Amino acid sequence: MTASLKSAKFSSRYKLPALGTLIFIGFIGILLTLAVYPLAEWQTISPDRFAGISLEHPLGTNALGQDIASRAEKASWHSLRIGFLVALCAGLLGVSLGLLSGWYAGRWPDTVILWLTGVMEAIPFYLFVAALAYALRQFNWSMELAMVITFWTTMARLIRAEVIRLKQRDFILSARAIGLSPGRTLTAHILPNTLPVLLVQLSMIFIAAIKAEVILSFLGLGNNSNISWGQMISESTHEVISGHYMNFVSASILLFMLIYSISLITDSLQTRSDPRQGIA
Amino acid sequence: MPIYLRKTLHSLSLLLGVTFISFLLMVYFGPDRSYAIAGKNPDTAQLEEIRQQLGYDQPFLNRYFTYIKDLASLNLGQSESNGKPVSQLLAETIPVSLMVLLPGFLVGNLLALLLAMVAAWYRHSWPDRLLTNLSLAGVSVSFLIIIILLSTWLCTPQGLNLFPSRGWRVDSLASWFTYATVPSLALIIVTVFFNLRFYRALLLDEMQQDYIRTARAYGAGPFSIMFKEALPNTLIPFLTRLLFSLPAILVSGSLLLESYFGIPGVGKVSFDAIFNADQPVLNAIVSLSAILVIVIAWLADFIYPYLDPRINLQAETP
Amino acid sequence: MLPRTLCLIVLGTSLLWGCDKNADSEATTEVVFRHALEDSPISLDPAHAATVSAKFLAVNLYDTLYRYKYLARPYELVPNLATSLPQISTDGLEYTIQIQAGTYFQDDPVFINGSGREVTAADFIYSIKRQLDPQTRAQGAWLWVDNIAGLKAWSEAGADYRLPVSGLQAPSRYAIKITLNHANPYFTHSLAQGFAAIVPVEAISKWGREFSSRPVGSGPFQLASFNTSQAVLVRNKNYREDFFSLESEGGIQENHPRLASNNGQKLPLSDRIELLFIKDDVARWNALESDAVDSILAPATLLTQILTTDSEANTRFKLKPALTEKYELLAAREAGFVRINFNMDDANIGYSTDPERNQANLALRCAIRKSYNWKARNQIFSQGSGQVFAGIIPPIVYEFDPEFSPESIRHDPSGARELLRQHGWNADNLPMLTYGYSVSVTQNQMFEQFRGFLIEIGYPAEKIQARKFANFGDFLRALHENNLNTIPSGWEMDYPDASDTLQLYYGPNRTPGSNNANFNNPEYDRLFRKARYMPQSPERTTTLAQLNQIVTDACVTISGLARTRIFIWNKRANVIPDRAFTGGYFLRFATLNTAGNKPESP
Repeated sequence: MTASLKSAKFSSRYKLPALGTLIFIGFIGILLTLAVYPLAEWQTISPDRFAGISLEHPLGTNALGQDIASRAEKASWHSLRIGFLVALCAGLLGVSLGLLSGWYAGRWPDTVILWLTGVMEAIPFYLFVAALAYALRQFNWSMELAMVITFWTTMARLIRAEVIRLKQRDFILSARAIGLSPGRTLTAHILPNTLPVLLVQLSMIFIAAIKAEVILSFLGLGNNSNISWGQMISESTHEVISGHYMNFVSASILLFMLIYSISLITDSLQTRSDPRQGIA
Repeated sequence: MPIYLRKTLHSLSLLLGVTFISFLLMVYFGPDRSYAIAGKNPDTAQLEEIRQQLGYDQPFLNRYFTYIKDLASLNLGQSESNGKPVSQLLAETIPVSLMVLLPGFLVGNLLALLLAMVAAWYRHSWPDRLLTNLSLAGVSVSFLIIIILLSTWLCTPQGLNLFPSRGWRVDSLASWFTYATVPSLALIIVTVFFNLRFYRALLLDEMQQDYIRTARAYGAGPFSIMFKEALPNTLIPFLTRLLFSLPAILVSGSLLLESYFGIPGVGKVSFDAIFNADQPVLNAIVSLSAILVIVIAWLADFIYPYLDPRINLQAETP
Repeated sequence: MLPRTLCLIVLGTSLLWGCDKNADSEATTEVVFRHALEDSPISLDPAHAATVSAKFLAVNLYDTLYRYKYLARPYELVPNLATSLPQISTDGLEYTIQIQAGTYFQDDPVFINGSGREVTAADFIYSIKRQLDPQTRAQGAWLWVDNIAGLKAWSEAGADYRLPVSGLQAPSRYAIKITLNHANPYFTHSLAQGFAAIVPVEAISKWGREFSSRPVGSGPFQLASFNTSQAVLVRNKNYREDFFSLESEGGIQENHPRLASNNGQKLPLSDRIELLFIKDDVARWNALESDAVDSILAPATLLTQILTTDSEANTRFKLKPALTEKYELLAAREAGFVRINFNMDDANIGYSTDPERNQANLALRCAIRKSYNWKARNQIFSQGSGQVFAGIIPPIVYEFDPEFSPESIRHDPSGARELLRQHGWNADNLPMLTYGYSVSVTQNQMFEQFRGFLIEIGYPAEKIQARKFANFGDFLRALHENNLNTIPSGWEMDYPDASDTLQLYYGPNRTPGSNNANFNNPEYDRLFRKARYMPQSPERTTTLAQLNQIVTDACVTISGLARTRIFIWNKRANVIPDRAFTGGYFLRFATLNTAGNKPESP
């Protein structure tokens, strides 16, 4: 892994992440600007309906006279929060189970974890979210919880494979020979070497969570009292017909900026860790 | 233990797990129907009687086994919303979903494979760059946005207004084109973007093999190399991806597509069931699609060695 | 006894109808009329015909004794399955109704030999009794239970069908005698409801709960297919001889020249009806514009695109010039109104055992009502086409009082804030409001607007929560199971009398009845019982005004808005799709001007 990292040709591969980084900085820039800009609260309604772009409403207003910029900003934080939260929790779960499973490959903890992975991967995601949301009724985080429970599996599989591969390497064998405990070996020696795979997979979970949240809230399955891009888009389906595009445009462009920039960055990470996968 | 037996046991244990989770979420913690049945102001004795009828007073394991038994005998119960037997509901909706999704899914995958061949052949030169960059941008666009843009463009008076914006009255090929074209196009676009880079990687992998290098060195053209040499060897992962994404497409993919276009397939029915907490319907769809995934995986294990002798079942388990 | 008679009838009729079928089969080209509804019915069982769409289907698949005239306004009853209007005894208690002999249920496997048997008086009696059977879980029982003598006792004694109900008798095969508990001048209207549709016992015994998706009736149409997206109805070949007459439907030749061309034709006029259930406003409008349907209820949110700008509330509505060539329009004040109810059963906002809290809750509800801006609601969601009125007696009703104090519809945020302050309400102790609705973009925005109004009076935004349901029927069903305390409600009146809206707050009609506010006021109930069956008179008007005042003073509801329904149809269609009171009855008269031509697919 480290070898391939060093031998990679950096010159040609920095072009795309540069674009990705640029878009990501742009995205965060927009959010920070909107955050400090004096905007109306996202829930506040006003008689000023479908207002055009102005200093007061940088992205205009919607049918209820609500400020689209402030709604877009709130929705963006909402998405980021969900993305990070789900990636973090699902990542943590996936990494720990993957390490465990890889270390004990072929023995019972591995069997159990593999079984769990198989079970979770067989259940259709959207229906699982719905069922979990129902089972947990008033619990506000059921959507995020459902994502965590379903999104860890790929991470676990990848980490497991890495551990199995690394376990046979000399430096691990010698670490074990000098009596290092399995926990210490895993965290100090194996984990750092899985970092490229781990980072790529984390950002994949991040992207999947954000995309899923948009679709779920578009369908009306999202968190009821929050604003999200999916909800803005569902409102906009009414407005586009009468020539009001700002809801749709702002939600979909922000969504695209975030997903595209993260995808570009992920792709370059992936290319560096495995040159065959990415765009050369 | 023979490997086939072990594989089968593994699949069975997965089935047990999936049904257990479905049971736990949708039956055990699912909606308590006794209040709905008792109507207003029931007394505790009445409720107790109904709970007994429904078997709520049974021990956990007994209820789970009853559940498995019902599932195995396809005794799926009736929809809470409209009283239709769930099996009938599925029999009506599955063909519709297949009609909406299958053509777009297959065309999208084949198109992705063809484009991947182009990209792989022109590796690192402009067609490859164009295609791979385009697909990266494409997967970043939400399926939802694609559907909205496409339907606004093709189905509304603001756009070309060529197709009805929603509905499903299909009884002939012509009516299929009327109602399924736009959903299929959306599906094709997503499928191409989603799969292009994966197929390209598969083909590149194959093209680095010695025999292809040799063939190229001897001056074999792109068609003969792609179709005669590279393709047959990538067929297995290609089919695997196709097969394994099928249940997900059928259930999750159709959810958005069908509810947006008002097509009465599995997705629309599950969408309604989600909102109505129509537990028998939801339960049947979740359990059956999960079982389908497991059965496909199990079948694949048996079929692949015949298709490709290089695949050894033993090799997969460390 | 019954089976043998059945056998004979079936044998006789199957011979008769066997011939008829052959005659019918030479029909050349099908006439297909397509209409869009805003919601899909969950159940096709007439006992559950509580929503517009469910009623729509019930009255077309099944027969009712009476219906409303197609074109007469104000609305007029006309015999449907009955031969004439009921003969009512002088004390107003006994109704004698003759039904038409020779009406047959549609052919269906539930009948012996599969051919529909004759509809008799016994079927009507069964259909009413059935709604008092707890097994049916009927939603229309309130129409009958207090009116018909002996029905309540029958239900309470265990709903045994072998036992008679004193108020429901069949003196002969075709005669029905209904005895009421009290004179009720409006009772005949009940017999024109979807709930009054006549169902065959065979179908219910055969299908049980599944009956709700396997209708077997004697109406002009029978079901060809049904799912959540559409229902297809085809001509019921067994439908009795019934012919169109413009005059007897209350129409005038000069006003309806094109409808007049159907005079003397056998009903239904179309061979096939396709009902598309399109919840989304934009999609419904698109369906009309792309010729996927022939008529729709114009989506209120899109009225600015559809009507000329000089169309104002209460004046004539006009289509935009670009649309006049292809479409026709009918504007009708809705027979009903919309309002937002508070669930009085919720101790956080409604009745509390603690008198002090009770007072505070009253103030809270009144403050919320003051915060509500009906003018903005009407403007944003109906383009100002509706009529805002105070109280619960809507403008379409005879007893509507334009002088009723407008205080309860005055938008007064500062008054609301003051009221909250006086009663010790603050951001910390204000209760959580759970606002439920069937999920759609419009409903979602109405929720956001409601929340916006409340924010203006200092209600914390996070204490106003939304609960969503897939369709209206499930929202109704969820009312008493779920923890909703703020309930946006629409009411489509069943019959043109104020008692039909006042019963919305009558204690015994609490959920699952139509009193979803669970309002429970003995004085109100007493006055309601007194006024309900009174013929229209100054005394009745006074009592109704008192009732209106009680509900208004108790702040149980934020009311209300009577919307204007704009129906739009393609000129190709030969129809007046007004559905106030008449429900879906117009479908039997719907046809195409170029009858015989199948509409082209877009």
